[in-house]
Amino acid sequence: MQRNDPNRTALGRRHVLAGSAAALAGITTATGARAAPVVPQGKLTLAWHTNIAARWLDPQQHDGTASPDNFLMALHDGLIKNYRSELYDHPALAERFEFAEDSKSATFWLRAGTRFHDGTPVTPADVKWSYGHYRGAWGEVLRERTQEVELVDDKTVRFHFKEPFLDFPILLGTGNVCGAGWVVPAKYYQQVGQAGFLQKPVGAGPYRLVSQEPGVRIELEAFADYYRPVHIKQFTIVSVPEAATRVAMLERGEADIIYFVPGELIDRVKSNPKLRLAPVVSGNWWLEFPGFQNPSNPFHDKRVRHAISLTVDRDAINDAECGGMGVVDGNWINNDVEYGIEWPKWPRDVAKAKQLMAEAGFPNGFNVDWVTPAPNYYSRGERIVSQLQAIGIRSRLQVMERGVFLKKMQGGMREWPGTQIIFNATRIGGTWSNWYDSMFKCGGFNSKDFFCIKDLDDKFTKYLASYDRNERKQLAEEIQKSILDEYYFVPVFRHAFVNAIGPRLAMQKWQDVFPTITTGYAYPWEELKLA
Amino acid sequence: MGQFIFRRTLYAIATLFILSLTIFTVVRLTGDPVTLMAEPGAQEADLELVRAEWGLNQPLPVQYAAFVKNIITGKLGQSFNYEMPVSTLYFQRLPNSLELALAATLISFVIGIPAGIISAVRVNSAWDHVGKTIALLGLSVPGFWLGLVMILVFSVWLEWLPTSGQGGWRNLVMPAVALGWYFAASLLRLTRSSMLEVLRSEYIKLARLKGLPAFAVIALHAFKNALIPVLTLAGINLVVMLNAAVIIEVIFAWPGIGRLLYEGIFQRDFPLVQGVVMEAGIMIVLINLLVDVLYAYIDPRIRLTR
Repeated sequence: MQRNDPNRTALGRRHVLAGSAAALAGITTATGARAAPVVPQGKLTLAWHTNIAARWLDPQQHDGTASPDNFLMALHDGLIKNYRSELYDHPALAERFEFAEDSKSATFWLRAGTRFHDGTPVTPADVKWSYGHYRGAWGEVLRERTQEVELVDDKTVRFHFKEPFLDFPILLGTGNVCGAGWVVPAKYYQQVGQAGFLQKPVGAGPYRLVSQEPGVRIELEAFADYYRPVHIKQFTIVSVPEAATRVAMLERGEADIIYFVPGELIDRVKSNPKLRLAPVVSGNWWLEFPGFQNPSNPFHDKRVRHAISLTVDRDAINDAECGGMGVVDGNWINNDVEYGIEWPKWPRDVAKAKQLMAEAGFPNGFNVDWVTPAPNYYSRGERIVSQLQAIGIRSRLQVMERGVFLKKMQGGMREWPGTQIIFNATRIGGTWSNWYDSMFKCGGFNSKDFFCIKDLDDKFTKYLASYDRNERKQLAEEIQKSILDEYYFVPVFRHAFVNAIGPRLAMQKWQDVFPTITTGYAYPWEELKLA
Repeated sequence: MGQFIFRRTLYAIATLFILSLTIFTVVRLTGDPVTLMAEPGAQEADLELVRAEWGLNQPLPVQYAAFVKNIITGKLGQSFNYEMPVSTLYFQRLPNSLELALAATLISFVIGIPAGIISAVRVNSAWDHVGKTIALLGLSVPGFWLGLVMILVFSVWLEWLPTSGQGGWRNLVMPAVALGWYFAASLLRLTRSSMLEVLRSEYIKLARLKGLPAFAVIALHAFKNALIPVLTLAGINLVVMLNAAVIIEVIFAWPGIGRLLYEGIFQRDFPLVQGVVMEAGIMIVLINLLVDVLYAYIDPRIRLTR
């Protein structure tokens, strides 16, 4: 997955919400029994859509994106984790956990008899070591906030925080955000070192590594001592960067699941009755206008931004780009994160848009230097360029390589002179505040000095300082509403990360394989069965 | 002779120096790899930490010196992405690329050389036109298109061959044909022109006048001499196929060096890209050096005139 790919899920590291007086989670109970008498059989092949980065096999190096999640869910296990409709608090290696009323400690009771793939038991000491040595996304914040990790007894571990740490369970349990709660065998890790672990990772997940060709292929086998039944014996993940080849593999039965079917191949899969599409609704796409606060910028006038919103044919873009399987929603923040608000679908009215343009002093439109879509979705930018001509906005498409785009985004306004439209996209997990922090706030990682609405940034600071859950919710909603009411961002649609499933997998509906909550990938691996 | 070898070796070192400087500079023009290595919300301080970890905060001359040292020691640096020595990755993939390149070379030989000979011997005949058409198609049909069409026809429709990946000989057929097709065309053209030149020479005329059978004239006299430039080209082609079959290896998910290079470029993995390019450069320079020395050994005029 690419850095700016909206399928990637990431939390900004910058802020962690301060704790509040309210308790977040109560006690959860164990739901998994010891392995039922299931004999794993058969073979499952997943055709992965990019090359396979070695660091994705090591939860200690979690890069805060969605991609590692696919591998962690097979090889490793967390204390708690996202599981179907449970966003972060499904008991995994911990049979239960308790988050203190004052949000200043969290206690986890390990499931009895759990083992790593090398046969050693999973102990509280492993939990403490994994957490303490974690150096991936959010690691710094966790270290800053954590006072101590206490080994209570041979199956209990307690985290103490310096101050209320309301987001701790979300961070710990969301597999595509942070890897600190994913437990590695401390002794083995120290023995082989980071590089050695990447070559031969040992975890406590449903599948153990048999062999790997770095970047190319991973062979896994069902782990007999996993605490839940694992149904398929062999699991191969093979990297196939070419989409047409992946589809051919599925058609031939060489792969059972393929990720990312691009728009031009969707019909081919649709037309094959043996195959099933799995359109996971994923990241959001919106238009933004860097430097619009400058009075000389034509986008300074709210009526112009409103006119653009009225002109964009969102359904047409969804149809052309995602076979109509995305969602034309109203907010630029996904509604599957904390406090992400629902917003009605935006109307399309080109006549009214023209009228607004005339009222704003642009009856014949104006020139835009560049429309720049997030790489590599260039055709989406072309559609915006084309549609805006209806109200006289003449623009050119600017195509940027991903790394260049990211670098320019981090350069702020000096990298985006003149009149610009960015067709941006992202998918960020956890909470709405990470979207605001990274994408809108003055000085944010991807927003820099593009927008800088002081009133909203002040409210956001207040939000961060508050421990009152009701107040936080209210502030979150006010900020989002304001961005939408003022057309600071013009949301377009949530695209579909389209995957496909072959005939050998047993399922009633595609959501059995792609639960879609928090991740665009297939899981839980241990539950997949062959027909 | 010793002086000649010494001079040519100096040229080779200078070439590698320029190549190393070029690739070192060019990969750094593509942007900062740290933006791809840190998570989207990372602060500047986090990015600095990553830069320091990988030595990217050092002045460029220091980074270049480290790069050269890595080449000399043969490690080629540590891949950002795989956290392994680039040399290990390279030599893991080398046998796969060698397998593909040798198969593609064989295909290019089987198609290119006989077709080239026939075109030359039957110049301006229907055979020649067929040969020229093959050459034209080979040079103009892109390998990626041919590869995708072959997957569709031979894997999906006919179900004769697996779509991709490495395995038995059946996995090798389509990528080898897709890769060898272009080189077959270039060999065909060179064989044809080389044969035409030889067939017009005096000693061939003499052989014919002596009453030697046509087959003997072509096979024993003409082909033998026409083969020298063809083999030289084939050697260079093999090195190119070995190191630069990027698109074919990506389409067929073939775990070779070309795909390693693609992965390096995709992830902006400087040491990986630099290492693969340098290895390819070293191979080509060494082969050229060897050929030069052999030529000079065979023909003393070369070492005297150069």
